[in-house]
Amino acid sequence: MPNFLWPDHRDVPTIGDTSLAALLAGTELPPGSAPELRPLAEALAELRGQPATDELEGEAGTLAAFRNQFGAPRIAHRRPARTQPPRRRLLPVKAAAAAAALLSLGGIATAAYAGALPAPVQRLAHDIIGAPPPGRQPAPTPSSARSVTTGDPAYGLCTAWAHAKVHGTRRQRAVAFSRLAAVAGGAGKVTAYCATAAPPGVSPSQAPQPSPAPRGTGRPSLLPAPHASGKPSGLPSPHSTGAPSVRPTPRDTGKPSGLPTPSQTSARSQDQTAR
Amino acid sequence: MIGEEFESVLAAAQDGSEVAFSRLWRDGNPALLRYLRVIAPEAAEDVAADAWLQVVRGLAGFRGDEQGWRAWLFTTARRRAIDEARRRSRRPEKALEETLPGRLPVAPDAADLALEHIGTRSAMSLVARLPPHQAEVILLRVVAGLDNETVARLLGRSPGAVRVAAHRGLRAMAGILAETDVTL
Repeated sequence: MPNFLWPDHRDVPTIGDTSLAALLAGTELPPGSAPELRPLAEALAELRGQPATDELEGEAGTLAAFRNQFGAPRIAHRRPARTQPPRRRLLPVKAAAAAAALLSLGGIATAAYAGALPAPVQRLAHDIIGAPPPGRQPAPTPSSARSVTTGDPAYGLCTAWAHAKVHGTRRQRAVAFSRLAAVAGGAGKVTAYCATAAPPGVSPSQAPQPSPAPRGTGRPSLLPAPHASGKPSGLPSPHSTGAPSVRPTPRDTGKPSGLPTPSQTSARSQDQTAR
Repeated sequence: MIGEEFESVLAAAQDGSEVAFSRLWRDGNPALLRYLRVIAPEAAEDVAADAWLQVVRGLAGFRGDEQGWRAWLFTTARRRAIDEARRRSRRPEKALEETLPGRLPVAPDAADLALEHIGTRSAMSLVARLPPHQAEVILLRVVAGLDNETVARLLGRSPGAVRVAAHRGLRAMAGILAETDVTL
């Protein structure tokens, strides 16, 4: 195509290939190019000029959308389908962390020392804060003659009671005390019983039975982690429950990599028919 | 353009780094607005914001280098501009042409502009006087920094046609500059 013919602009010299490339790329015009091209090069340089203040307004809105999309941590954009197996592996860790966080609160700790939590949680409590481990046997009948070998349950119940006295609710205090009194052989013997309580591990075989207790149905779903409450298909992160904000597969949304997109193509044909 | 660091900036943004995304935005938005203020002058800011929202939504799935990124950004914005023009027009098939240059209110209002940017606005008005297709090609090549082949794909035209349009557009600009003796 003879692109050197442009009769409308008789004063304008032809723009050679190298000059054209330089003008478009914003590089120095080749030596010997027509002086008339200088103002053009300057105009093009202005087009590429430094950002003006008003061109940097509106960032906040886009950043808000970005924050919403990528939300809290960095798991947001990963694909849910493939996170299934890792999630199972993660669950105990998260549950433990959540349980630890929760157990550090007075009331639950009391329940843990009282052996009143569901078995998994009780086991965690045992590991983390030295509460009695969950047992499988019914509680031994309270005997008034406590032997030295009952150090473990005694310690747990006494610690629970001590804790409940300070941090527990009235109900928790009542539960902890009545359980302790039952083991000690009466409300009046509690102080003496606890005076000789041994720390856990002394005789693990004598673990007390976790009773169905104050709050409990015994379901493991008492775990505090949000995803333990019956959303097996959810992402591990809390924001995954807000379905609309997280696109499951980013490929569905835009077509970032493919250049001529369908609507692009239709726009093009529009463009052509309009001429 | 961001250049060498682009890859790591993009990766960080895709990983949720707001700072990194902000850098992409601050790099891309001025160019995007200059393009849109010529091809969709009445809705440039809105269209730019819409385009960014769409880019944010697809960001995690984007793969490509800086040319690809720019191409995606401008393609998205162009599509939004066309949608917007259609929405505003009773005759959708002519919408884009009608909003395209020729009588654009890009003329700088000097009172609103910092002195150093009057040149940019004047240059944009100059481009806006070109036939629409030439104006768009010039903007995509010069302002968006896209290469000829990318612009051709974006516009759905042949690389040769785009090259010719660029050449004609530049000559026309030079002609206007010579006739009007404009000093930018």
